[in-house]
Amino acid sequence: MSRIIADMVAFGKQYIRSGVAMFFAFAFPILLILIFGAIFSGSGDVKFSMPIQDLDDGPYSDIYVDILRNITVVEVKMIPSDEDFYQYFEDNDLNTAILIPSNFSEQIALALAGDHGAKGLVTVYGDPSTSSFTTLVEIVEFSLTDLGNALTASTPVVGYLPRVPEELGGLTFMDFFLPGVVGLVVMTNTLYTITSTCAEYKTRSYFKLLATTRLKKHEWLLSKFLFYTVLLIASLLLTFAVGMALFDMTATITPLAVVFIAFGVFLFLSMGMLLGSIVRDPESASAVANAVGFPMMFLSGIFFELESMPGYIQAISKVFPLTYFNDGLRATMLEGDVEVALVNLAIVGVLGLVFFILGSKLMSWKER
Amino acid sequence: MTENVVEVSGLVKHYPPDVKAVDGIDFSIPKGMIFSLLGPNGAGKTTAVEILEGLRSPTSGTARVFGVDVTKDYDQIRGRVGILPQNFEPFDMLRPAEAIEYWAKLYDMSVNRKDIDAIIDRVGLSNRKSSLSKKLSGGEKRKLGIALSIVNQPELLFLDEPTTGLDPKARRDLWKLIEEIREKGTTVLLTTHYLDEAEQLSDDVAIMLKGKIVARGTPSELIAKYGKMTVVVLAGAGKEGLYEVSRRGITATEEEGDVLVPVSSPAEMRVVLAKLASIELKVTDMYTRKQTLEDVFLNVVGTKMDEGVLAK
Ligand SMILES: Nc1ncnc2c1ncn2[C@@H]1O[C@H](COP(=O)(O)OP(=O)(O)OP(=O)(O)O)[C@@H](O)[C@H]1O
Ligand SMILES: [Mg+2]
Repeated sequence: MSRIIADMVAFGKQYIRSGVAMFFAFAFPILLILIFGAIFSGSGDVKFSMPIQDLDDGPYSDIYVDILRNITVVEVKMIPSDEDFYQYFEDNDLNTAILIPSNFSEQIALALAGDHGAKGLVTVYGDPSTSSFTTLVEIVEFSLTDLGNALTASTPVVGYLPRVPEELGGLTFMDFFLPGVVGLVVMTNTLYTITSTCAEYKTRSYFKLLATTRLKKHEWLLSKFLFYTVLLIASLLLTFAVGMALFDMTATITPLAVVFIAFGVFLFLSMGMLLGSIVRDPESASAVANAVGFPMMFLSGIFFELESMPGYIQAISKVFPLTYFNDGLRATMLEGDVEVALVNLAIVGVLGLVFFILGSKLMSWKER
Repeated sequence: MTENVVEVSGLVKHYPPDVKAVDGIDFSIPKGMIFSLLGPNGAGKTTAVEILEGLRSPTSGTARVFGVDVTKDYDQIRGRVGILPQNFEPFDMLRPAEAIEYWAKLYDMSVNRKDIDAIIDRVGLSNRKSSLSKKLSGGEKRKLGIALSIVNQPELLFLDEPTTGLDPKARRDLWKLIEEIREKGTTVLLTTHYLDEAEQLSDDVAIMLKGKIVARGTPSELIAKYGKMTVVVLAGAGKEGLYEVSRRGITATEEEGDVLVPVSSPAEMRVVLAKLASIELKVTDMYTRKQTLEDVFLNVVGTKMDEGVLAK
């Protein structure tokens, strides 16, 4: 045991001191979240496109639409009133839209007449994690204030209701993306580094040296496993905290998610060891690790949902172990679906075991 | 009877299809000695040493360390042996003290600060204790390598080309260190392609060539057997000098403008000097020097060696 701890401490010190590695464990996931968060939640338009459906077509809704039209950055697009709002939203791939209900003018009239329970309410519809939604809410807030002022009402006679489209099920892009980032980070940290570590240990005769000490091969691997598990759980927590702070997320960290990290580390360490046993030098190590890791990065559903991909890509993705890691992690973090998560966990575990057995058979610390 | 720490007999290592890295060698190393395998690149030194370290398995022959067959029972002697591999580079991101502590623990030894400092002091790295290893010079890295190899207080130390690529000062430092280690009773097996190193350090030398041991003995035995006792150097005599000397029936060679006349006994020396006195020679200087392993190597192998490469 003390050998394992000594090896883990020495390895950990070296890993942490070489800043590159810390980049991949901590800075990389956060950068990914920030970049992809900005791309998928942002809107680069100068004019803010605002689809509106006016089911009221009464005096007050007319004034309100005019107020919106007069805001220079807003480009009002009317949704025909005979369309079903939610269907239209779906069909036209809208991010956000406003619905003025048929009782809008009627409610305002009641409120102006002194009915405190009455209020003209517009619905602001969209994915709340996106920045376009936030902008829309701001615009609606101050345009409604303008409307109130125009009506010289002393009490608020108008308001808005935010609504989330149902098929999002309360999940945002970030909810989907975050487990993918965790998978990516687990894979890159372990697979890439252990492959190149194996190559370095070969060229620098470290394996030969280790072979002459009392440290056993499985102890060496176990120490890497413990180190990466702790490191990557820390990375998961940090990534998650950043995601929570910056985006509206419903994903949660479950105990099963933590177990997934440990299983993932085992799987990708074993894979790295297997690759490491065939590479000779650090140059070929990064080539080999990339040849395996790169396709896996893009075809395991990290960035895009696999369901929306062509069938052959979905078929290919089934080959990559990372797919099962991602699927399982999403099942537990997003859907709380323990059954699906456990099935994927089992697949990850079995694949890990297969790679481990192959890798430890092929990896030799000695020369023939 | 002295106890042999290492015993090798009929050792062969073939790499298919046709590389005979080690081609039937025998030697033994008595306790407390520095034994050198001296030979050019590709002679089979590392192969032989790594068989003894339990890292390669021989094609045939036996290799015993402390009486134990290393191909079968290396586990029994693990811990009694220290190793410095060829071209050793220590862990870049560890400080010397950390590396030593790490290595000690891999041998299940508990070390405290004092033990670590003692080892660092012993190899002369006290002033570099807190630098990351990647910042050490080539010689310092090699010293750290030796520190790691003696962390388990081995009775036998394998040093595979410990001074290759180092400057003369660093090499001399390491020689001193190796001698100090031997003085503490450690047996050392050293490989090298530096003739001066083998001559300076070894109690016993085996010259290895193409997997075979071609000469074997203490440096002075080898010089007595394969070299002449002394060489008379006619500095600056040149080709003309060689011609004149040879014409008088004296065996000589020319090297970088100097004429060298090897002499094997005091009687021969008198004759040679008398003959030389009778020749008109343009020389800038005339002196004698003792023969070295370099001359032995030249005589045995038939060519010189520089940085492990044989001259044509
Ligand atoms: N694993 C191997 N597979 C095939 N050939 C090998 C292997 N290891 C060594 N050889 C060959 O065996 C011969 C002896 O190599 P070895 O490394 O033992 O020489 P050496 O005396 O240590 O040389 P150097 O001074 O360059 O270190 C060389 O021709 C080398 O190419
Ligand atoms: Mg060698």
